Amino acid sequence: MVTQNVVYRPGSLEEAYRLRTDTGALPLAGGTDLMVRYRKTAGLVPDPGRPVLFIGHLKDLRRVEERAEEVRIGSCTTYTELLSQKAVPEILKRCITLLASPPIRNRGTVGGNICNSSPAGDTLPVLHALECSLVLGNIRGERTVPIDRFITGPGENALSEDEILKEIVIPKAAFSGWCYRKIGTRRANALAKISFAGLYLIESGEVHDIRIAIGAVAPTVVRSREIEKTIIRIPRTSLQRSTVEMAARYRPLIRPITDQRSTTGYRAGVTLVLIEQFLTAVLQKKG
Amino acid sequence: MKEKKKDSTAVRGGTASTSRASISGPVPRQDAPGKISGVASYIGDLCFEGMLYARTLRSTVPRARIVSIDIPAMPEGYFVVDARDVPGKNGVHMLTDEQPFFAEERVNYVGEPILLVTGPERGKIDQILRGIRVEYEEIPPVFGEEDSKNPRIPPLFGERNLFCEYEIRRGEVEEAFFDADFVFEGCYHTGAQEHVYLEPQGTAGVFDGERVTVYGSMQCPYYVKTALVGGLGWKEDRIRVVQATTGGAFGGKEEYPSIIAGHVAFAAIKTGRPVLLVFDRAEDVVCTTKRHPSLIRMRTAVDDRGAIRGMEIDIALDGGAYVGLSPVVLQRAMFAATGVYRIPCIRVKGRVFATNSVPTGAFRGFGAPQAFFAVEMHMHSLAEKLRKDPLEFKRSYLLSMGDPTVTDGRMKQEVPLPRMIDRLCKLSGYEKKHRAYKKEKTRRGIGVSLFFHGCAFTGSGEKDKIKAKVLLKKEDDESVSILVSNVEMGQGAQTTLKKIVAETLGCGLERVRYDNPDTDRVPDSGPTVASRTVMIVGGLLAKAAGRLKRRMDEKGEVKIEERYVQPPHIEWDQDTFTGDAYPVYSWGANAVEVEVDPVTFEVRVIGVWGIYDVGTPIDERIVGGQIEGGISQGLGYATIELLQKENGRLRQKNLTDYIIPSSMDFPDPVYELFSSSYEHGPFGAKCAGELPFVGVAPAVAAAVQNAIGRPVRRLPVSPEYLFEAEHDED
Ligand SMILES: Cc1cc2nc3c(=O)[nH]c(=O)nc-3n(C[C@H](O)[C@H](O)[C@H](O)COP(=O)(O)OP(=O)(O)OC[C@H]3O[C@@H](n4cnc5c(N)ncnc54)[C@H](O)[C@@H]3O)c2cc1C
Repeated sequence: MVTQNVVYRPGSLEEAYRLRTDTGALPLAGGTDLMVRYRKTAGLVPDPGRPVLFIGHLKDLRRVEERAEEVRIGSCTTYTELLSQKAVPEILKRCITLLASPPIRNRGTVGGNICNSSPAGDTLPVLHALECSLVLGNIRGERTVPIDRFITGPGENALSEDEILKEIVIPKAAFSGWCYRKIGTRRANALAKISFAGLYLIESGEVHDIRIAIGAVAPTVVRSREIEKTIIRIPRTSLQRSTVEMAARYRPLIRPITDQRSTTGYRAGVTLVLIEQFLTAVLQKKG
Repeated sequence: MKEKKKDSTAVRGGTASTSRASISGPVPRQDAPGKISGVASYIGDLCFEGMLYARTLRSTVPRARIVSIDIPAMPEGYFVVDARDVPGKNGVHMLTDEQPFFAEERVNYVGEPILLVTGPERGKIDQILRGIRVEYEEIPPVFGEEDSKNPRIPPLFGERNLFCEYEIRRGEVEEAFFDADFVFEGCYHTGAQEHVYLEPQGTAGVFDGERVTVYGSMQCPYYVKTALVGGLGWKEDRIRVVQATTGGAFGGKEEYPSIIAGHVAFAAIKTGRPVLLVFDRAEDVVCTTKRHPSLIRMRTAVDDRGAIRGMEIDIALDGGAYVGLSPVVLQRAMFAATGVYRIPCIRVKGRVFATNSVPTGAFRGFGAPQAFFAVEMHMHSLAEKLRKDPLEFKRSYLLSMGDPTVTDGRMKQEVPLPRMIDRLCKLSGYEKKHRAYKKEKTRRGIGVSLFFHGCAFTGSGEKDKIKAKVLLKKEDDESVSILVSNVEMGQGAQTTLKKIVAETLGCGLERVRYDNPDTDRVPDSGPTVASRTVMIVGGLLAKAAGRLKRRMDEKGEVKIEERYVQPPHIEWDQDTFTGDAYPVYSWGANAVEVEVDPVTFEVRVIGVWGIYDVGTPIDERIVGGQIEGGISQGLGYATIELLQKENGRLRQKNLTDYIIPSSMDFPDPVYELFSSSYEHGPFGAKCAGELPFVGVAPAVAAAVQNAIGRPVRRLPVSPEYLFEAEHDED
């Protein structure tokens, strides 16, 4: 008995929406997560147990558009393509150069990273820090959801059975600097033990904006606007707490696990030091 | 690819020997064209008419009695093969034959084979496997040495759960400790390691009604044949074993292939069809052998002048569920226990304990890497304790010619380490860097390791067990065939052995043939292990070629046979472990420079240097390949290759989780060869295959110790280990 996988290769986004509604087919962008998740014994074709909808080739999903207030990234734009786009923020490019390896980057997409919703997805903390929103479309229309409300748990998100992630919208904002760190075991093709994204804006001696987002240390990306608010627009000279104390406020939010890649103690301890160092660096900046 | 100029392909930095033997110049690798063009047939490429596929049902629990196995009705053309289909003894012959081909009443580790499902379609086989239900009655498993003492856990092997236990004494060790001013102690742990040969394990079996042929990715065709003789209960002449082109092995294909050779042979006989069994990577990681994890306790008696009076060393290795090759691995570890140092008196105790986990086995270095990690870190730390420079301290204890070995043999050749160390220091800038890094808080460090590898089989193995025999045959067409059971597995044997024969005969390489061994055609020249192929087998071939040379003018076929004769200088007593454990030693010295990230504790290697004495290199490029590969594998072992067991199960189950280095992780090593010459090796060659792995980890660990100013006692030196070490102390 040979199970024949049904695959659809729509000619347009419209058709993709229709096929998705009619057949419940599973979208496949670059396939770098799906082909691994559904792999079988060597020599057998991966089988997700439902029809597959190829969307990676659709022009409408594979573009970068710069507008006055925002940058719109088509969900199926590959990492390699993003690296050559001027409009893509530097922090995201830095993240991409540390993600997987060239062959995977030639196929893998940001849309796939978001919809896979793994706690170790490298672009997720960056996209959280950039306060992206996601345009989800179906045959009837579109809706826009902020990324922090889209991803709800490890491998869980708010995508409906008939929807496709169409675009990632990055609002333009002024920053005076950023920091991205990925702690992995090897320099290529290694999943993160911790990933850290930090952005800040300093004007006339005051922190006008600071955003800290951390991946792989809790079921979803850790970001706290509340803690960030305790730093924003407070003259640095009157900041009451030391950076160590400020970082310690993240402690209850950092809930990493011990697994095959690292330990709870290491992940939590190193994360707090990364936060502390970032805060120190920001607060020492002139501006 | 552009052929490089001959000189520039030589080992980086050039060889330091003044007279470079003409045989050392690199030639094109003989196996490269077939492999690069895709012509070479690996096991997964084999295809026979009517061939069936097979997959294995494995134990999912670490220890249990099998209560029942519920197998759904088989569709036509599909078969189950299990212990009842083993015509001979259900035990795989290695040192003993207590490990079953298929588990019968009991399972002893997660991944142990229970049965095989064979049939024409792989998808269908998987479906059948999913439908089989095994009912287990679990038995409290043994996970560590301490469990042997727990009365609620029945021992797995013997009464004390030990596969073997040895003790060696030399000199009045009690006296040394009694007289000591103080005793310096240390405990050293090393982790398991996975081989990650590029090609997973695989075999194919063909039965023609009378004889069985097994093809496989393997190092030791005659080990496989012997195991088949036992499992089939047949006469030798009904069994044929053929090596398929082998994509890497590192010891992982020394004993393991015998198990799955049995599987395909039994399946081929039962079904009457050829059967192919090739592992998936994840399956290979979970169920094949690993490097032995070790715990080595070292105690050194030091007198009031700060001199070493004696050492007591206690080595414990985790053998997994079956004995396999563990006793020999332990012996090599024990014989290397005091490293390259002259220690007045010693007691070395060693044991291998049984656990309900995947068996550990042969792996490049074979017990020596564990021993060298312990002794090198111990000497380094003792020097620091005595406020002496570690390298100067080590230098003052170096073995030299005539000194006794652990087993009270004698160093019969010159020990070239002093000159090698000088050169290493010059290349790496060790002395200045070490001093600077000790003072500054730069988080940089540099470390040195000194090591040897005993060439070929331990003790009298070559003479009493292996008894190698080679054939050299001038064919009718005037070509010359090398007939040996040793295999090319990526290490370069096809090139080096051909060179030895061609150079001796004074003919071109193209005239010499050396095909993958087939036990119907080749005599038993022994396994492709223990860095013995060039020195022992190549040595026999050189002798045979010398004799053939005088008969090259004869018309037609000429056959020359050569058998191993132990060099007269070796004296060995296997019962008491006394005498010369190895005919000769290859030597090495490594320096490694690191930077430790102050926040993440990641160890970045910024420089690696190596000086080696492997005798005459038969091909400098091939030796260079062994060195570069051994260094990368050693750096991986030292830093990132974490393989943990949790309740008898591996935590890192595939190559997403078990991380080996990529080309981006480490700098290119700088290395040189010191060529001494060994009179009993072909053209003066000693051994080179395992040596480059052996010293890497201790050099890394010493560098990290220099960088962070705290003792390093464990491999791999992972960021988590360093983080915890730092926070435990605070
Ligand atoms: C060797 C290797 C190394 C890797 N290294 C890293 C790494 O370092 N960091 C990292 O974060 N990841 C890594 N990955 C994982 C993977 O490459 C990334 O998550 C990648 O971004 C997935 O994109 P894709 O287009 O291939 O996703 P796909 O596999 O095509 O899809 C992933 C999931 O998203 C869904 N999906 C995809 N696109 C859409 C869409 N537009 N609308 C709705 N649903 C969609 C799919 O149905 C599927 O559930 C690695 C993978 C491999 C094989």
